[in-house]
Amino acid sequence: MSKLNRRAFLASGAGAALALSANPRIVVGQTNEPIRLGVVTPLSGPQEFIGSFVKNGAEVAVDLINKAGGVRGRPLALEFRDEKANPAAATTVARELLGMGINLQLGTIASTVALAYGPLMQAENGINLTCGAGSEKINHENYSPHVFRIGDGTYRMRAQARMMAEKFPDVTSWTGIIPDHEYGRTVWAIYVDGLLEFYPKITGKQPQIVDPIIVPYGSGDYRNFITQAARTEARGIVNATYGGDAATFFQQARPFGLFNNRILMDVANEFIVANALKTQVPKHWTGTHWYYGASASPIGESFYKAYVAKTGNKMPMGWAGEAQAAVAAYAAAIAKTGSTETKAIIEALKGLSYDTVTGARTIRAEDNQAIKDLEMIQIEPDASAADVGFKVSDYVKIPGAGVIEPATPGQAMVLRKSS
Amino acid sequence: MLADLPTLLFNTLIWGMATFLVAAGLTMIFGILHVLNFSHGGFFMIGAYVAHSLANWSSAMANIWGFLLASVITAAVIGAVGLVVDRAIFRRLAHVDGAYVLVATYALLLVCNGVVKLIWGLNVVSASPPPELFDVSFLGNLVLPHYSIFVIVAGLAVFLALEWLINMTSVGRLIQAIAIDPWMARLLGINVGLIYSATVIIGFALAGLAGGLLVANQSLSPDLAGIFIIQAFGVVIVGGMGSIRGAFLASLLLGLADSFGTALLPQMPGLFFFVALAAILLIRPRGLIASGRLS
Repeated sequence: MSKLNRRAFLASGAGAALALSANPRIVVGQTNEPIRLGVVTPLSGPQEFIGSFVKNGAEVAVDLINKAGGVRGRPLALEFRDEKANPAAATTVARELLGMGINLQLGTIASTVALAYGPLMQAENGINLTCGAGSEKINHENYSPHVFRIGDGTYRMRAQARMMAEKFPDVTSWTGIIPDHEYGRTVWAIYVDGLLEFYPKITGKQPQIVDPIIVPYGSGDYRNFITQAARTEARGIVNATYGGDAATFFQQARPFGLFNNRILMDVANEFIVANALKTQVPKHWTGTHWYYGASASPIGESFYKAYVAKTGNKMPMGWAGEAQAAVAAYAAAIAKTGSTETKAIIEALKGLSYDTVTGARTIRAEDNQAIKDLEMIQIEPDASAADVGFKVSDYVKIPGAGVIEPATPGQAMVLRKSS
Repeated sequence: MLADLPTLLFNTLIWGMATFLVAAGLTMIFGILHVLNFSHGGFFMIGAYVAHSLANWSSAMANIWGFLLASVITAAVIGAVGLVVDRAIFRRLAHVDGAYVLVATYALLLVCNGVVKLIWGLNVVSASPPPELFDVSFLGNLVLPHYSIFVIVAGLAVFLALEWLINMTSVGRLIQAIAIDPWMARLLGINVGLIYSATVIIGFALAGLAGGLLVANQSLSPDLAGIFIIQAFGVVIVGGMGSIRGAFLASLLLGLADSFGTALLPQMPGLFFFVALAAILLIRPRGLIASGRLS
C-alpha cells in the first residue's frame, strides 16, 4: 500500500471540501440546521398591502410547523426579500437568495413577477411557489417546470360563473367592470367562458354577454364608466377592479343605484371594499383564496387562531392562507422526499396531495397547478356590526376538480366566446 | 350620444372641478416660485387623511358645516406644513438648479407616502359625505348626486376666490409683481421672501383644502397621491404654467375630452385626455393662457 504523501492528502482534502460546499444539506435529517425558505413578496410599493398578509401568513405557518417538531426533525426558517411587485427587482432578490443556497422560494403574487421567474428558476435551478398570481399563462403558454401555482388559478373565475348559474338561474345577461390591463381582460374572458359553459348546462339558458365597461387603472373618477354601466341591460355585473380603485368605483356608483337591482360578483377584493365602505358597501359576492370563517379544516382553525394572536387582525385576507399553503407544500414535499434538492422537490411536488387551511389540495403533475376548493362569500351591509359595518351573509365552496380547465402546458387556454 | 349629453356635461364638470381643486395650488406655486412641486399630490393625500381622521374623531361629517370646517382646518394644517417645507427645502434650494428642486420635491412625495403608511396604515378607507350631500336628485334621466354638485360649486368657489385674491387685492398685486419681476420688486422694497413663503403656504393650504373637500369623492389609500396628480399636471401644462385662469379653463376642456372620448371609444378609456393634451400643446405650445406668470 502506497503511503499517503502531503500532496495527495491536500488534494483529497480540497476535493472533499468542494463536494461538501456544493451540496451542503441535500439530505434532510443529517443535521438539525433550519431548512431555509425564501419569501420573495412585495414588502413596499403598490402591493405592500398584499405582501403583508403573505409575510404574516408564512411566518404563522412556519411557527405552527416548528412547534409540531419541524420537518423530519429540522425547523423551517424564512428569509424575506422585498420584490416591490416589480419583475426586475424580484429577479434580482430571487437570484441573491439562490446565491445564498436558498433554492426553495415562495410568496409571488404579481403575474408579471411569476412569469419572470420561469426562465430564472430553470436557469438557476430554483423553485418558486406563487401565492396568488393570477395569469393563466403561468400554467399554460409560459409553463415552467420550476414554477408552481399552489393556489387557485384563473379557474376560480369559472367557479364564480358556475355559482352564479346555480344561485341566479334567471340572471342571464352579464357585463363586466374590467380594468384596462392584460389581467383584467383575461379575467373577463375566463368568466365569459364559464358563463357560456355553465348557464346552458345548469339552467338550460344561453347567457347574453354585454360588452364590458373597460375602466382605467388608478383613476379618481369613474362616473363616466358608471353611467355607461347603468345604461346596459345586463342584470349581472362582474367587477375586476381591485383595491382602492374598486372602493372608489363602488363609492361613486352608489348615488347612481348601479348595483340596486343587479347581481354583483366581485372577482377578488375579499374584505378590501367592505372594510373601506362599511355600511355603504353594496350587497355582493366576492371570491376569496381562503375564508377563515368557513372552518374548512383543522389546520385552518389553528392557523386562524395563531394568525389573530400574532397580528391582532380578526379578518385576515386569503393571501395569508395561500402563504400557508405554499409553506405546507414545501414541508410536505421535503418530508416525502427527504431532500431539499431542487430536482427531488419538483418531483415530490408534482401530484402532491396535502392539507392546507382550505382543506386538501392536489398539485396537478402536468402543469404544476393546484386543484383546490374555490371559496366565495356574500357580503352585505350590517349597521349592527359595530366594528366593521358589514357581515358575511353566505358562503359557497365549489370543488376545483369540476371547474378547472384541462392541463395544456406550453399551450394557450382555449376559451368559449360569445357569438 | 345626444341623449347622454347632459350626463356627459355633468360628468365633465365634476371631473374638471375635482381636478382644478387639486391643480390650483400646484399652478400657484409654479407661477411664483417656478417650482414644479412633485409632492403636491402627497400633501393632497395627507389632507384627505387628516380630514378623514377629523371626521372619525369628531362629528365633522354630521352636517355640511362641520364638513366645511373640517376642510378649512385641514387646509390650515397642510398650510402650516407648507411653511415648514418652505423653510426646510424651498428656501435652501432657491439658488440652485431647478433639477435639484425637482428631485427634492420627489423625495418629499416619498416622505408623504411613508408618513401615510406609518400613521394611517395600508388599508383602503373611505368617508361618506354629510347627510345633506348624501342624497340624489333627478332631472329627467340625469342623475345629480348632491355631493357631486357640491364638488362643482366648491371648484367654482375656489376659482373665484383665487381670482379675487390675485386681481382685486393688494396682496394679489404684490404676488403678480413678484411673479413678473422679483428683482425689481426687491428694489422697490417689497419683502419678496415673505410673499414667497405666503405663496407656498397658500399653495399647500389649497392642496389640504382639496383633500378635505374631496375626502368623500374617492377611497383613501397610500396610492392616492398619484390618482389626481397626472391630470393635475396636465391641467397646469395645458392651462399655461402658473395660470390659475388657464388651469380652470384647461380642467374643463380636458374633462370634456375625457367624457366624450370615453363615450366615443369606450374600449380605450383615458386615451382622449392625452390626445387632447397633445393637440392643445401642438396648437398652443405655451398653454391656453401663455403669460408664463401668475394670472
